[in-house]
Amino acid sequence: MARGVSPIHQRADYIETAPTGPAPHLHVVDPVPSHAQQKPRLSLDGVTVNFGARAVSAVQDVSLTIGAGEFVALLGPSGCGKSTLLNVMAGFCTPVQGRVLLDGEPLTGPSAKCGVVFQKHSLFPWMTALDNVAFGPRRLGLTNARQIAQDLLDIVGLAHVANEWPASLSGGMQQRVGIARALATRPPVLLMDEPFGALDAQTRSLMQEELLSIWDKLRPTVVFVTHDIEEAIFLADRVVVMQTYPGRIAREFAIDIPRPRSAEVLNDHAFIERRREITDVIRVEARKTFR
Amino acid sequence: MTVALQSLRKFKGVAVAITLGAIGLSLFAGIWTWASAHLGNDVLLPSPLSVLSTYAELIADGSLAKDIGASIFRVFAGFSIASTIAVPLALVLAYSRILRGLVMPLIALIRPIPPIAWIPLAILWMGLGDPPSYFITSIAAFFPIFLNAFAGGTSLQQEHVNAARSLGAGPFALLTKVMLPSALPMIVTGLRIGLGQAWMAVVTAELIAAQSGLGYMIQISRLSLETSRVLVGMTVIGLLGAVMIGSLGVLERRFIVPWNYPR
Repeated sequence: MARGVSPIHQRADYIETAPTGPAPHLHVVDPVPSHAQQKPRLSLDGVTVNFGARAVSAVQDVSLTIGAGEFVALLGPSGCGKSTLLNVMAGFCTPVQGRVLLDGEPLTGPSAKCGVVFQKHSLFPWMTALDNVAFGPRRLGLTNARQIAQDLLDIVGLAHVANEWPASLSGGMQQRVGIARALATRPPVLLMDEPFGALDAQTRSLMQEELLSIWDKLRPTVVFVTHDIEEAIFLADRVVVMQTYPGRIAREFAIDIPRPRSAEVLNDHAFIERRREITDVIRVEARKTFR
Repeated sequence: MTVALQSLRKFKGVAVAITLGAIGLSLFAGIWTWASAHLGNDVLLPSPLSVLSTYAELIADGSLAKDIGASIFRVFAGFSIASTIAVPLALVLAYSRILRGLVMPLIALIRPIPPIAWIPLAILWMGLGDPPSYFITSIAAFFPIFLNAFAGGTSLQQEHVNAARSLGAGPFALLTKVMLPSALPMIVTGLRIGLGQAWMAVVTAELIAAQSGLGYMIQISRLSLETSRVLVGMTVIGLLGAVMIGSLGVLERRFIVPWNYPR
């Protein structure tokens, strides 16, 4: 746990020097260009997870290095173990082999250093939107937890529902609160497990743009699990395509579409080219297991 | 504008409900009056009016208040004992597989025994007076409270635990900020049902094993063929039970688990 460690946003390496931008406690982190991977933030080294009692898919011998401030999409069909891999990075499940390093140190369990956005229904229904977002900062003993939460709700455009119960928010709003909550401890890493999978197509598209704009403001390292090819290309610097049985990395694609990206890039030549390449790989992989 | 419209609509809804309720009750009182006039025998069925005058009598001499007080005290005693034991036990069992395996078969065997079947043992062990009533009411309240709290404890979602841990929650915060609030709606439902059961059981206990209270009053009046007193006892039980359960429901929606009832 993070107790005894000084709160993340107060530590020297997370404080932005530039005086501009939002409130200082919201400002971050690695002002490096996202494609630059000078120092690995998160690295997986030969990670293997077996089928356990839990309904998780196996992952075999996965090695992956993710740079600070990088946006990586884990793409693959269901059953390829992409969510399992994310759970390993979050510290929710322990690999039987291999190890996970966060900033060079072995990961020992869940902590406020890795924010997690779940697929759905993960807000605490007994807390208002604001209290949900303030939950993390409060656990870290921050006295300005409320202010942090308000600022983050503002960033995700939901300041006006701060005092609503999650049950009275729409699915898209709930996910935005979930993103704000995961960002509230100022985690260097944000892990997202198909966060828009349960949303309708229109909302989903808006949320993707929204996520990019939030990411642009705060620049956390993001690992984004999805089975939607276009979503992966649109969001990420790098798309990691996974294969099934066993769950492994099939191929990686660097996405060099310039940022900031808006929905228009979906029609760009570069986008369509990437989509074709990735679709080909996915089809080959899917065919192997399709009987 | 919309707020005003909403509250107007709500007011209309309440007004309609009250009107319908009043009509229903008046119809019932009408049938009752007709039936008692038709029978023409105050021992078999006194009219609502003579029950009302008995009310006035019993309120005036203070005996009704005394009986109500005795019964309510017993209900709350038994209810408190039951919830103090049932809620912690249920939550512990929900989280410990070994204890669950040890205790649940016993619970399954004891649960079908109706509270009234415990009365002989209660009298043998505790004699007449208040203690057997506490015992009976707590038995009656225990099972609904226990079973609902247990369901609440087991309904904990892994996503909530994972989310809390990834936000830096330690074991204590996990218990107080996640596990307890997550079980709370079911616990409160159990308490509401348990209170109703305790209220019904207290009358049963007093019919047999007490020398005061509404149940005792009904029993004595039956022996002296004062049927209008019996009906006073019965209607007071109905009225107070409805008020208790209703107000617990309001507390639940407004203050205890408001998130389950978003506007």
